[in-house]
Amino acid sequence: MLQRKKNAVLVDGVFLNGPIADARAGEKFVEDACKIIMEEVIQKAADVTEKVCEWQPPEKLKKLLDLEMRDTGEPHQQLLQLCQDVIRYSVKTNHPRFFNQLYAGIDYYSLVARFITEALNPSVYTYEVSPVFLLVEEAVLKKMIEFIGWNEGDGIFNPGGSVSNMYAMNLARYKYCPEIKEKGLSGLPRLVLFTSEECHYSMKKAASFLGIGTQNVYFIKTDERGKMIPEELEKQVQRARKEGAAPFLVSATAGTTVLGAFDPLDKIADICEKYGLWLHVDASWGGSALMSRKHRKLLHGIHRADSVAWNPHKMLMAGIQCCALLVKNNSDLLKKCYSANASYLFQQDKFYDVSYDTGDKSIQCSRRPDAFKFWMTWKALGTTGLEERENRALALARYLVDEIKKREGFRLLLEPEYANICFWYIPPSLRNMKEGAEFWEKLHHVAPVIKERMMKKGSMMLGYQPHLGKVNFFRQVVISPQVRREDMDFLLDEIDLLGRDL
Amino acid sequence: MPLSAAPTPGAEVTRTGPALDEAPWQLQILSCSRKQKASAVPGTGPCPAVMAEVDLLDVPSLDKAAGEEFLQEAFGVILEEAVRRGTDVTEKVCDWKEPEDLRHLLDLELRGHGEPQPQVLQRCRDIIRYSVKTCHPRFFNQLFSGLDYHALAGRMITETLNTSQYTYEIAPVFVLMEEVVLQKLRELVGWGSGDGIFCPGGSISNMYAMNVARYHRFPDCKRRGLWALPRLAVFTSEECHYSIQKGAAFLGIGTDNVYLVGADERGKMIPAELEKQISQAQIEGAVPFFVSVTCGTTVLGAFDPLMAVADVCERHGLWFHVDAAWGGSVLLSQKHRHLLDGIERANSVAWNPHKMLTTGLQCSAFLLRDTSGLLHRCHSAGATYLFQPDKFYNVAWDTGDKTVQCGRKVDCLKLWLLWKAVGTEGLEKRVDRAFACTRYLAEEIKKREGFQLVMEPEFINLCFWFVPPSLRGKQAQANYWERLGKVAPVIKERMMKAGSMLVGYQPHGSKANFFRQIVTSPLVTRQDLDFFLDEIERLGRDL
Repeated sequence: MLQRKKNAVLVDGVFLNGPIADARAGEKFVEDACKIIMEEVIQKAADVTEKVCEWQPPEKLKKLLDLEMRDTGEPHQQLLQLCQDVIRYSVKTNHPRFFNQLYAGIDYYSLVARFITEALNPSVYTYEVSPVFLLVEEAVLKKMIEFIGWNEGDGIFNPGGSVSNMYAMNLARYKYCPEIKEKGLSGLPRLVLFTSEECHYSMKKAASFLGIGTQNVYFIKTDERGKMIPEELEKQVQRARKEGAAPFLVSATAGTTVLGAFDPLDKIADICEKYGLWLHVDASWGGSALMSRKHRKLLHGIHRADSVAWNPHKMLMAGIQCCALLVKNNSDLLKKCYSANASYLFQQDKFYDVSYDTGDKSIQCSRRPDAFKFWMTWKALGTTGLEERENRALALARYLVDEIKKREGFRLLLEPEYANICFWYIPPSLRNMKEGAEFWEKLHHVAPVIKERMMKKGSMMLGYQPHLGKVNFFRQVVISPQVRREDMDFLLDEIDLLGRDL
Repeated sequence: MPLSAAPTPGAEVTRTGPALDEAPWQLQILSCSRKQKASAVPGTGPCPAVMAEVDLLDVPSLDKAAGEEFLQEAFGVILEEAVRRGTDVTEKVCDWKEPEDLRHLLDLELRGHGEPQPQVLQRCRDIIRYSVKTCHPRFFNQLFSGLDYHALAGRMITETLNTSQYTYEIAPVFVLMEEVVLQKLRELVGWGSGDGIFCPGGSISNMYAMNVARYHRFPDCKRRGLWALPRLAVFTSEECHYSIQKGAAFLGIGTDNVYLVGADERGKMIPAELEKQISQAQIEGAVPFFVSVTCGTTVLGAFDPLMAVADVCERHGLWFHVDAAWGGSVLLSQKHRHLLDGIERANSVAWNPHKMLTTGLQCSAFLLRDTSGLLHRCHSAGATYLFQPDKFYNVAWDTGDKTVQCGRKVDCLKLWLLWKAVGTEGLEKRVDRAFACTRYLAEEIKKREGFQLVMEPEFINLCFWFVPPSLRGKQAQANYWERLGKVAPVIKERMMKAGSMLVGYQPHGSKANFFRQIVTSPLVTRQDLDFFLDEIERLGRDL
């Protein structure tokens, strides 16, 4: 210490000797935080006897949390307490009774990969700073491409399926007219894209973000099961042509958000071929069915797509976010479409093969290594293990459907083909009512009240929504391998318990 | 094991690709045929019922105890190999392998069967071993480096809680926290109110700015697209980050419509040139709508003159965006924040605390001065399955519709926890220290033979050439610059193969390859700075 002080260098009022971070204390903090994570999240949250959430209204929670950021730092113990509080009031998405979103549960392998990612803090743009993770991404993409049924292809991991869909839209546009990259849309004929009315809302967001405009998204009617009707698609394509617009893209959905419907890809592909349109498949949710020999028929025809969005963070539990855009074209279309050739990052005179510097395929600059967590799970479980998960989730969904059919007061919206089980709970007071306007109006208010009660109790979480003319209904989603039959029974019992007085 | 034995319902799909014939499915744990036999339940849908498996469905298919044990062991490995050894100056920054060799070493292939836990743990060690240690005190390669322990803990908690930042219902703590953090950042910009959101990277923040500006000027664009608009023009300096170009292409504006404004010899946008470009665009029939200035350019670390540019923007009614992805953190320093004087006049600011404040990737804030809900109006789609208006709490807290993403990572906790741990003062100290380290190196460079600054740094980008003995004093020779341009890549190759440190180089404008050194990590000591110069000399003295 003394020695160091003697040689102290003072620059601009700052002593440069020695680091200003205390590594030992820092490591201790990480260790202690890990203990809390282990006890309070991993062990506790996976226990059905614990709450899924500890509901507090926003104003009260603000007070409970002491969120203010101050001038001076706080001591070790106080910081650990803050971590405890953050965990306590956060929703436990890894709880077996969390059914609220299209993700749930916990996978230990992916979690470890995510911790490694955080500790190493890499950015996947160049081989020089991210050698391992670029190769991992390449290996995972290659495997996903195989499962789609393509011999070769390209791809990239993105911050969310919405962004993947945007990538696809932009790629399709670029393929249609490469000059758009430089010239922009002005002066071009009006571009039109097609997707079903059951599609994810990211298609609209993408259309407005990319300057295409939401009114140039032509929504195609679906059948009673939520699937795009190919004949309607063809009509709309013809309509757009008549209007003098330029159709360029069809986005089909494999696994719609609410109903879990799969569009008829083969027939849609025929139309795309006939009219020379790019076929994108938004399989963000349903893509994981490709892992199952039993269920992959749902995506029959996906190999004919030009691009596919697939989020392993949903059914395959890779952790948020893990979203791949896969592209059939192998002629470097992604790179051509997105590259800006920044000379400070993608120097051409590097000593290694710079084709490994894949970062210029992205619209991002720094990018997280999201493929890695999926790779780790895949390594640990194998394709077989992933397939088992998929099959198990759908088997549980099937079990729940059968139970719903048996129980009084529960009614399915439609026979599900995937893991979305949409149903109404009809409380006793409505069971004998004629199903007219009053019935539906009253039923509409049931789900929100049950939801409020379940959240305040913390017993479980599942979502509800109105949907295309249908009043509020629950959407139950089964994902996690932690979930047992008993949890399915509990779900129905609990809804009945919370709603029987309504 | 060949699959052909069990023709599956999906077999037709697989016909076209040879890949699927080899697909490594091996065992069917929930056997399809067994299920079908046992489940002649009438009235079931497309997939037959599963009565035969009910026993399996009664128990979780996840071994909790084994999983937790694995997690414990992995914690140990991560702490020892990534954190402790990664920050140990006597260890290598990287263990260089050629791509082909590394692929072989890592055995990346994904197979049909899983692996036992000890083997998976060994994979963790290998992944860590061959990864670049960006937390190492001698990693100077990017605009991020180092490791903050509190931020790391925050990131681990984020990963474990695994939630998405769209509704209060599902991320109550983080919805509130994001708001507090954004407010704090806005205060530092100089705004009493405003709006904002965390984005997956500064490039996306810049795109948001461009889109919000476009919507602000032409609200019709959201619905009707660019056909409803005249040709738009964007202005930024020739030193800007390449994401402005990417943004213009992605948003359908086109890269040709990005007018690059000349910069002075220090890399700062020249306001008079901006005026000229605006007139030029107007003459060409385009409509100027957006000016992006840079605080802390990527290569030179230059700060554009905000006040003068703000005047121009006001005069022409243009949206004034400040890309302070890199330089924004200087706002924390009383001493240096004058570099960003005028930022309070911006309409929007991009600021990445993941760079200088070492929060970890990614932590990128997009800040807006607007208080009218512009961001929401511009991006919202009002999905009824997510943003139900009849929720039992105030749905103004469901902030997710402000974004173009749907699921969005929680990026605020790491910064918040770090801030809680060191306070605004601690962050200020880090910023000041980074400046001081750069100043120290600049002075050392001036003293040392063979080192030559590209320019006097005003920020913490230290740009310099190393002139090897064979080239010293030969500046007059015709091929001097060409030869000098070949020096940095060779030194870089040698340092990577030695694993002793990492620093970037690039050509820039007409300038031949030079090094760009960046210190942000609080773990860096003066010894590391001296080592840095010594090492370049050692690696390049024979060139």
